[in-house]
Amino acid sequence: MFLAVREMRRAVVRFGLLVLAIALLVFLILAQQALQEGLLTAFVGGIRNQSAPVLVYSVDGQRALQGSIIPPPLEEAVRRTDGVGEAARLGQSTFTVREPDGSLSDAAIVGADVAGLATPTALSSGARPEVAGEAVGSDADFDLRDEVTVPAAGPSAEPVTLTVVGLAADVQLNVTPTLFTDLATYEAAVRASNPDATEVLPNAIAVRPAPGVEVDELTERLSAASPEADALTRSEAADESPGVAQVRQSFQVIFLLYGLVVPLVTGLFFLIVTLQKSGALTLLRAMGARGSVLARSLLFQVVVIVGLGLVVGVALYASLTRVDLGFLTLRFDPTAVLVWSVLLMALGLGSALVAVRRVLRIDPVEATTGGGGG
Amino acid sequence: MTDTPALRMDGVRKTYEVGDDEVVALDHADLTVGSDEIVALVGPSGSGKTTLCSIAGGLLSPTEGSVVLAGDDISRYSARQLTDVRRTRVGFVFQSVNLVPFLTAREKLVVVDELAGRKARRGDAGRRADQLLEELGLADRAGNTPAQLSGGQKQRVAIGRALMNEPALVLFDEPTSSLDSKLGEQVVELIREEMKSRGTAAVMVTHDDRITHIADRTVTIEDGHIAA
Amino acid sequence: MRLALRELRRRPGRFAVATVILTLIALLLMFLGGLLDGLLASSTGAYRAQEADLVVYSSEARDSLVRSRIDGDVRADVEGVEGVAAVGGLGSVQLGGRPGGDPGSKDLVATVLFGYELAPRGLPDVAPPQGTVVADAALQAEGVDAGTTLLLGPARTPVRVTGFVDDTRYSGQGSLWGSLGTWRAVTRANRPGEAVGDDVVQALVVRTEGAAGVPAAIDAATEGATDSLTVAGAIEALPGVSEQRATFNQIIGVTVVVALVVVALFFALITVERTALYGILKAIGASGPTLFVGVVTQAVVVTLLASAVGAGAAVSLDAAIPPGAIPFEATTGRLTSSVILLLVAAVAGCAFSLRRVLRVDPASAIGTGG
Repeated sequence: MFLAVREMRRAVVRFGLLVLAIALLVFLILAQQALQEGLLTAFVGGIRNQSAPVLVYSVDGQRALQGSIIPPPLEEAVRRTDGVGEAARLGQSTFTVREPDGSLSDAAIVGADVAGLATPTALSSGARPEVAGEAVGSDADFDLRDEVTVPAAGPSAEPVTLTVVGLAADVQLNVTPTLFTDLATYEAAVRASNPDATEVLPNAIAVRPAPGVEVDELTERLSAASPEADALTRSEAADESPGVAQVRQSFQVIFLLYGLVVPLVTGLFFLIVTLQKSGALTLLRAMGARGSVLARSLLFQVVVIVGLGLVVGVALYASLTRVDLGFLTLRFDPTAVLVWSVLLMALGLGSALVAVRRVLRIDPVEATTGGGGG
Repeated sequence: MTDTPALRMDGVRKTYEVGDDEVVALDHADLTVGSDEIVALVGPSGSGKTTLCSIAGGLLSPTEGSVVLAGDDISRYSARQLTDVRRTRVGFVFQSVNLVPFLTAREKLVVVDELAGRKARRGDAGRRADQLLEELGLADRAGNTPAQLSGGQKQRVAIGRALMNEPALVLFDEPTSSLDSKLGEQVVELIREEMKSRGTAAVMVTHDDRITHIADRTVTIEDGHIAA
Repeated sequence: MRLALRELRRRPGRFAVATVILTLIALLLMFLGGLLDGLLASSTGAYRAQEADLVVYSSEARDSLVRSRIDGDVRADVEGVEGVAAVGGLGSVQLGGRPGGDPGSKDLVATVLFGYELAPRGLPDVAPPQGTVVADAALQAEGVDAGTTLLLGPARTPVRVTGFVDDTRYSGQGSLWGSLGTWRAVTRANRPGEAVGDDVVQALVVRTEGAAGVPAAIDAATEGATDSLTVAGAIEALPGVSEQRATFNQIIGVTVVVALVVVALFFALITVERTALYGILKAIGASGPTLFVGVVTQAVVVTLLASAVGAGAAVSLDAAIPPGAIPFEATTGRLTSSVILLLVAAVAGCAFSLRRVLRVDPASAIGTGG
């Protein structure tokens, strides 16, 4: 180990560049993992973390909440289905809202007509709404007692004001500040922003199975209940939202490519370093150093370098997750750090085996025959 | 040939700063090498023979004194000018004959010309290389890489390369150190033959007796001083 | 330089791993860039196709088409502004379409129906008659042909496709282009909550006579009821466009830095290895700059090689990805810009070795056993 440390001290720039390369790659991988998670949570967190185990869309909605419309016959078919415990009409739309200071911003408003169904599963602070006009807001965007108003879009319309009485984490929809309220308040908001609206239909029916009924069994029954019905479990509804699978696949290709670059860079570096010092290694072997000792010394360097790269990369990533990006939250994910650290360390060590093999193959006899010579 | 000596060094002194101390590597060295003379330079290691050879070949500038190479005083030349001098006026044969391992024999000769800037290139490098290889008995080895050449053949290629720029002076750095005695003998003969037939001057740094025998003159250097 | 090229040719093995790494990085850059291009292309096509100068939203819509409402009075105000040459209404509704003609089919195509008055590029000057549309060519991959009748939305409102237009996708969906009347009818039937009156549109597209102050003049004329943007500005304001661009460009930037570090590392190592060789080459008359040019040449060749393989892989990836899976597009511009970025990174990476190459002492060639 003494030799290994000495060598790294002497060639700080070289080993430093390698640490930097690995650190940047680790940072990129973790940052993009956080970005993927952050994006998906911001897109469908409001579906993932709401209380209804089953959501019934119209087939026409193509699994987009805002695109789905539930006409009365479909709603009837859902309610009549065997195994439905509770069913709530669920409306969702994105509005321009005015804050008390007069500035305008966007908000997604979700309304349901059964308390406790299709609302955030857990509150991070505050209380559940009790009267019309109260709402639970996404905690990345709102504070308790915030008020937002959906302005009237004409003389015939009435503005609607919502007051945030509770907060919940990770409940955004479509990367927009999101409010959960009752259905009547939601309908009033729709009419405020579009007085021409003839009828406000729910976008989905939120369903809780009757006691003893399996969720998967119920979704099958519900989908069969009407040709218009598309019943999904909570996680299906989140994962099959338009764009979610695309985001996943795109990031997987990116991770695969970065994952390949790391071991290649490490492997190449140690192979070249080993070739460069093969003369010295030969002499060491001639002096009686065992091949396995030299190989261990090399692997020790790999562990130190990849380890330093991981530490620097994770530190960069940690500082990134503290930055407020505004439109989405990048969270420090210890599991991702652990998984990638183990994976990259293993890949790094694996890639260095080429160099190790080279070290073990060195024949000490070469030292006496002037193998270098020319 | 002409009367201009290939090399004339007068009162050459070379010192290095080591920390606060000044180390004298070469002190008031005078050496003249005639236009077709072969001089062997001998001395124990650390005596200054490498320094002297480096100054003669334009690899180093002297701290004091003058160095005249084929009539031109190069002692105050800039690094850039010295680069040109080395490329056009001096030939080198290094201890390691395997200059660039991935080049063929012919390419090794031409590479000297290729290293020159576009403007400084001679038009007939290829022809000259072929001619030299022919003269050195390597015509049929032109396309071979070092791995396909014997030790003696590699040495010939190195000599050929040193002669490519028609130098006034060829410097040999321990040309026989890595060869066995029989091969060393042949190489020494070859050097003498090639130098004498071209009328080219040579300085050989060595501690090999065989070289001192074929040299016209042997100069001994000790502790930075030339002992005539 | 020829020496450097010869080394590449004779000893490809020693450059192979570096080339493979750079190839992966090139592919990464191209993939990231292509993904960005694909995402942007599929979300902005309908706007990029506009042959107009401005897009006018209602001021409370916060530059969102679906939330914007402009009535006849506001429109009249806009038409009266000096410098306004032509004004057209624009409306949109996103609906699933059934291409098979079977109202019970669960096989839907995601579409967005636009109603227009001022024709975007490639569309007839007079919008198609009521109930007929021109479809985006991307929908052909989903089984939509000329003559296909699409049943739109829960009301199964039929629209017949009479032709195709290229590159007009919007928010990742294939667009259908019809008259404002078709749009109003389809919206009323399927989205009663979004239904609008007969003189109401979502936004106006405006052709100007070129004066720069027109957007401000429009917003002044409507007394702040509108928010007028250039088409480019409206594209940037589309949901996610500027965020995607910024995020991807940052990732691409860091990846370029990784490429730079890899090149720096590789050539720094190779240069260390060549110290003795450089000493000898300098002794026989090669200048430091000549040798450094050799290093740069090798880096450039390795990068070009990696770029070529990377570009080939990117193009095959583009061909291999089924339409609709990953919004990846390998465009010549993107591939070229990726190669240029990599070359800059490679040359900059070589600079780390410059000092070492220049510092090699030609005198080291003698007396050291070479």
